[in-house]
Amino acid sequence: MGLQENIREKGVLGAAAAQADDVFTRLTAGIDAGEFRRMLQGEPPGRPNPRLKPHSEGFLLHIKPTYYHESVTRFTHTYRLGLLSTYLFIVETITGILLMIWYAPSPERAYVDMILLLTNIPFGQFLRDMHRLGAEAMVAIVTLHMVRCYLTGSYKPPRQFTWFTGVLLLVMTLFLSFSGYLLPWDQLAFWAVTIGTSMAEAVPPAVVGETVNLLARGAPDIGANGLLRFYLLHVLFLPLLLILFFFVHYYKVVHFGISLPADEEEVGEDTANRVPADKRVYYLPDVLVDETSFLTVMTALLIVLTVFFFQAPLEHIANPQSTPLHTVAPWYFYWLQGLLKIADKFIAGVLLPGVLLVLLMAIPYLDYNPSRRGKDRKVAIVAGIVAGVVMIIWSWMGTPEYAVEGAPSVEIVQDVMPEEGSGLSREIGYKHLPLGVWRTDEEYDVHDHEFMELLHEFENAVDYYRRADPDFNAPIGILTISQAQPGLKKLFWKITWFDAEGTSGKYEKTFWLHEDSLYWEQYGWKHLFLGQVADGWKSLSGALVGE
Amino acid sequence: MHRLYTRSPIAKIMWGILSSLVGIIVLLMVLVSENPRMEAQTINWEGRSIENGAKLFSDNCVICHGPDGKGILGRGPGLNSYYFFTDTGRLKDVGWVGSLDDYVKLTIAAGRPSKTESQWPEVMPTWGGQFGGPLRGDQVVDLTKFVMNWEESALAQTPDEDPFQPFEDVIRPTEFQNTAYILLSEEEQAAALEEYRARNIRSPQEIWTGEACFACHNLEVRQVDVAGQNGPNMADLYERAGSRVEGMTAEEYVYESIVNPLVYFVETYENAGKMPQNFAEKLSEDEIQALVAWLLNPDREQ
Repeated sequence: MGLQENIREKGVLGAAAAQADDVFTRLTAGIDAGEFRRMLQGEPPGRPNPRLKPHSEGFLLHIKPTYYHESVTRFTHTYRLGLLSTYLFIVETITGILLMIWYAPSPERAYVDMILLLTNIPFGQFLRDMHRLGAEAMVAIVTLHMVRCYLTGSYKPPRQFTWFTGVLLLVMTLFLSFSGYLLPWDQLAFWAVTIGTSMAEAVPPAVVGETVNLLARGAPDIGANGLLRFYLLHVLFLPLLLILFFFVHYYKVVHFGISLPADEEEVGEDTANRVPADKRVYYLPDVLVDETSFLTVMTALLIVLTVFFFQAPLEHIANPQSTPLHTVAPWYFYWLQGLLKIADKFIAGVLLPGVLLVLLMAIPYLDYNPSRRGKDRKVAIVAGIVAGVVMIIWSWMGTPEYAVEGAPSVEIVQDVMPEEGSGLSREIGYKHLPLGVWRTDEEYDVHDHEFMELLHEFENAVDYYRRADPDFNAPIGILTISQAQPGLKKLFWKITWFDAEGTSGKYEKTFWLHEDSLYWEQYGWKHLFLGQVADGWKSLSGALVGE
Repeated sequence: MHRLYTRSPIAKIMWGILSSLVGIIVLLMVLVSENPRMEAQTINWEGRSIENGAKLFSDNCVICHGPDGKGILGRGPGLNSYYFFTDTGRLKDVGWVGSLDDYVKLTIAAGRPSKTESQWPEVMPTWGGQFGGPLRGDQVVDLTKFVMNWEESALAQTPDEDPFQPFEDVIRPTEFQNTAYILLSEEEQAAALEEYRARNIRSPQEIWTGEACFACHNLEVRQVDVAGQNGPNMADLYERAGSRVEGMTAEEYVYESIVNPLVYFVETYENAGKMPQNFAEKLSEDEIQALVAWLLNPDREQ
């Protein structure tokens, strides 16, 4: 109908309203304004259901099912962990592309670019913190998603392959997170990745392991080539691979439907396509509103956590000549690091993780139990819990708390002033470090509460190792603080002791601290909470360890 | 089936709007605090750079430059030194026209040849990786920032605290000790220079060779000037000088040409700009008069 006829028939206002409604319908791929209003009012659709049109006409919705079984839309059934994982991948893609603008993958530029990002780019630190937090959250959420599917037995027929692709996606998420680890080119990144790739070396036979290691690092040691390779893995290869497997995974999820609660579905039953009419919850508007509002709340949460509670670490620039004390893997690989402490590199680094991975992928094909009900799956659930507890124990063994004690003198200085990170000395900062010679065998009364705390911690550390180590007798710790330059203090730590035979030993370590360096005070809004959180965490962990 | 549609989605939409607002407000808070945050981050990383430089200095440099950076006689000159940081000090002596920061950076990166005639005969090694040394570019920058951080304390030093620094191979226009001369103000230096000139009048021959006049002007051979020659021949100056400019005697013309060389220059000499224009300051009045007389004397001794 032409516009003129329209006006003749309905008047100017009526024609304009009809035109506006037409535009609205096109934008929503088939929902007119009246239907939209009925959606908001919570009214049922007419027959035939006009709300299915966007699924057939629009690209974005054609991959979503038109309706779900009422039982799977309850939040406590899935916790929307799969959706959240996908969403975090999108967050990572967006923040990642923005970060690529200011980053060049070469050892000469990478670390300098990090500092430029933090010092000269508005929202630069926010982007970096969010990318890092999002990556760690994604690992956690994907893992929780897997745990949920395991506990509800969702991997059982017909969804075995969905589980299989899901495990592949978990592995890709881990590799994606780990490959990004190297990019800042600091000590943390360099040594975590050096250790990570060295595990590949243990793959037998030797020629294969060495070749894999060489291919990953681009040279016998990580350098310009290795950085470039990890960069390409991180920004191109792994994301593309993950997107591919995501669509395979999601196709299977839509095809077989999300598993219903165990009581409502028999194993092997195809419930996706046979939802009784009175159990159908249509995607438009109910599920869409659920998902959108959930993701909006999660976005706000992510922003709040990033701004107030999280700071991506940046240590000293990568130095292949100096291995920092207590090199740690990212937390999601603590279990692997723990394993490496008790078994050799081949068993702990290749064989066991490989067997675990194959087992994990094969669970749906090994588990013949025809029931998904918890009371019928006692063995599986107990096995799952045991595996989780073992994982946590291995992870704890991976932390520096467990069995990596070096020489007492080295550990004492590491306690109060570590090579990387802050330690109490840098926490109290330049202004709380009075010039002078301070010995652990003498009492001082300085009118500086924070410095007294440092002296006490120093004394306690020396005393702890005196009691713990028979080769560490009559130890004396001496801290000499002097002014090296305007605004620069020199902290000279010296420990002397006698071993069991009475031979004297000494250890010396020097650090400098500039008055402008901020190791502890935070920038922007983080100072509001981050310090308190860390203090709370410290006292909590102190209480747990029983100090 | 109506059971599933009994609730309006408005409540959930409100949750969405509320959390959008929270997100936007927090981002606005970040926006307003970005400038101070970036400033804090900038000085923070400057400070850490100085800390890294301190470690590098203590590992590599203290053997020659001393643990306090005050230099070790015969090994390496002081960096925590008034002479090093003052405008009329080291940079002037070595003829460096750039900034001290660049001088330090280049010296660390490229090293410096031996100054065998001075109190610092040791060679400064090459440290920068790009010239074959052991340090990376960022380490050279860290070290430079550390050295430059001495500026405040170095400029507060008295001559007694900075004793043996000035290069001994630099000839200074005064019998003052090198150190004392460096510590004079610019006016005092000018006065010392004046006094020095009054006591040390050079002969025209000394000036001719000492100021390198011979590099451009030929005094010995009577020959026709060729194109591209830097300066005119002066063997027959006494014949031509009187007629070059109307109303000027030969003496006046030659005097003017030494003091203000560009006023009467001959246009065929394209390189006339190479003639130094500061002889009025470098030579005393008596020296210039003697030089003019000598140049115009047909029987001059060379």
